[in-house]
Amino acid sequence: MSVLLRRRPEGFAWLLLVLMVAGLLSFGPLCVRGTGDASASVGEADVAVRQAFNATLDAERAGANVSGLILRLNEAGEILTEAEMALGTGNSSEAASKAVQCIGIAESVKGDAVVLKASALDEAQTVFWMSLTFSVVGIAVFVVVLMLVWRWFKGGYVRKMLGMKPEVAHDET
Amino acid sequence: MKLEDCKVVFAAVGLIGVLIFASPTLGLVLHLPGGEKFSELWVLGPRHMAEDYPFNVTAGVNYLVYVGVGNHMGSSTYYVVYVKFRNQTEPLPNMTTGAPSVLAPLYEYRVFLEDNSSSEVPLTFSFSNVSSVGGQSTVGNLAINGVPFGVDKSVSWDAVNSGYFYQLFMELWIYDPASDGFSFHNRFVSRWLNMTASV
Repeated sequence: MSVLLRRRPEGFAWLLLVLMVAGLLSFGPLCVRGTGDASASVGEADVAVRQAFNATLDAERAGANVSGLILRLNEAGEILTEAEMALGTGNSSEAASKAVQCIGIAESVKGDAVVLKASALDEAQTVFWMSLTFSVVGIAVFVVVLMLVWRWFKGGYVRKMLGMKPEVAHDET
Repeated sequence: MKLEDCKVVFAAVGLIGVLIFASPTLGLVLHLPGGEKFSELWVLGPRHMAEDYPFNVTAGVNYLVYVGVGNHMGSSTYYVVYVKFRNQTEPLPNMTTGAPSVLAPLYEYRVFLEDNSSSEVPLTFSFSNVSSVGGQSTVGNLAINGVPFGVDKSVSWDAVNSGYFYQLFMELWIYDPASDGFSFHNRFVSRWLNMTASV
């Protein structure tokens, strides 16, 4: 290299220029890929948060208490915003890192929401069958008791009517 | 009292009793319609009250307001609040058609709320690269919660109200699980900001 520098300085300058251009050409796509990867990660995080929310909503509709999940979703949403802001300011590495963090929380929320939903559905089924049993047995017992009371009342009423003595009333007209 | 009348009374008591015993199951099966569904969006000053809002603003100073969202939609809801900045000639959301402002959002908040709950988040903002030449004011940069944005907005001197007026406004968007997308919820709040003090 030093021989080339001493004998052909203009040749060395050209070589340096070619190397720099080659370096830039190889680094450019890397930068673009970095931004593209970060953007894709943030997109994935956005989808993951939506799916986690949908799972939470399903759990809530099944009757589960989702307060804890909502708190964690807010945390995921905050991190997703940070990832998007970092992406907007060109900080791809931070955007990608935040997106990964967000996806982790969202997937954990989604998993917990599925478990909560199953548990809430089980509980709801138990409560439903208990209520149905109470209603059916309660109505049956009530109707039987009411019929017995009616028979007792009717018997007493008839006895009372038969025990009455006829009285002669004067017709004032 | 005749026996027939007593029969009617017993039948009525029987019907009421049956309904009382059936009510736990009916409560699980029948779902009555809830109240009106709506969302709230508000902006408060630095002391969480509707006072001391930043109005006369200057470059290099941090200002604080609180943005609040309330959920009365009957279930947990996923909201996004977009923060936008405009001059007097740029459009606000159209409340009649329910269309959001066409301006690109600078900052966003993602808020998840259970039914009948609310949340307030701080919004700090500051301006830099502010200039005023020949009755024209220009804001180069706006930082929201420490994140800088190049805005490059200009306004002319408002002779009627004596100031250079910009507007910071927040739009409420709601997530619809059926379409898996966000839509403008036809609510926005705004604060006028007079940049006179910085020129």
